[in-house]
Amino acid sequence: MSRLFLALGVGAYLASGATAALYAQNATYEDSALRLEGHLGDTRIVRGVQGTVLGRIGVFHGIDVTKVVSPSENATMEAMRFAHDYGPGTLVVALGIATLGAAVGVSQIHDVNRGITTGLTIASTGLIIYGGTRLESAYNALSRSIWWYNRDLKK
Amino acid sequence: MNSRFIRALMIGAFFVAATAGAQTGGRTAPSAGAPELGKSLPSAHATSVYDSTRRYDAQALRFESHWGSADIIRGASDSVVATVGWFRSFDIEKMVASSPRAVTEAHAFETNNFRGSLVTALGGATLTAGILVASNMSNNASSPVLIIAGAGAVAWGLQHVSLSYAALARAMWWYNRDLSR
Repeated sequence: MSRLFLALGVGAYLASGATAALYAQNATYEDSALRLEGHLGDTRIVRGVQGTVLGRIGVFHGIDVTKVVSPSENATMEAMRFAHDYGPGTLVVALGIATLGAAVGVSQIHDVNRGITTGLTIASTGLIIYGGTRLESAYNALSRSIWWYNRDLKK
Repeated sequence: MNSRFIRALMIGAFFVAATAGAQTGGRTAPSAGAPELGKSLPSAHATSVYDSTRRYDAQALRFESHWGSADIIRGASDSVVATVGWFRSFDIEKMVASSPRAVTEAHAFETNNFRGSLVTALGGATLTAGILVASNMSNNASSPVLIIAGAGAVAWGLQHVSLSYAALARAMWWYNRDLSR
């Protein structure tokens, strides 16, 4: 008889697992879908109609996007691409801006070789363009990641 | 004993599944008759989820930026349907017309993007003029004014461009949300 109750319990437990999955499917777009919003140089990851800010991505702080979108495989892949490009992109752009600052500073000094100023300006432009390209690639991967995450909410 | 065990397992599973089916049915199809809930709704739900995902795959929008402009991309096939930004205009309101909230956000995007692009361009030109005047070593009093005014205009303009893209993101979020309804 006790085995009978045990079997009833096991059956109920297995079915309640399916019920939990069903509820997870119903907690869809309205509450959980993500989007990106730029705000004063930062990018915010925002969730749902309420606009809950999950985290900010900026020069001095970041959020583990792969963790946020982990339920979706495609989204996680794109989030990893974002992480791969974002750090180096930020660093190179910062270096480029510093070099540009140095070029402007050097240009103010009298009797300085103009070649140095020109070299610094060209180097800074190159660094900013390269870093900007990496950053752009990172943000595009982030956009794709969120698209996939929202898509997979419906599964 | 074995068959009793299996039968008990099935009965337990049946009771919980039937309860869950009725609860879900209550939310998704309130008018459906109670006796049919257990049978028909799980498959209807699966079909609806499948259709919704397929619709999202085919029509959901997102955007990717390219040096100041943004490509609007539709669906999983990555087809670029429009490019906006830096004085490029495209009627996004028309594109997202099926969703009223998306139309409001698309309008905010268009207004802020035009304003931001214009002021950033003017500010950039002023800043460049200021830097050129300063780099010619001429002690012209206008150079600091030009640099400060230009930098201020660029900052204001970029802020508005940033606000416009936030509105575009919301427009697409609402549009994609309404696709699934």
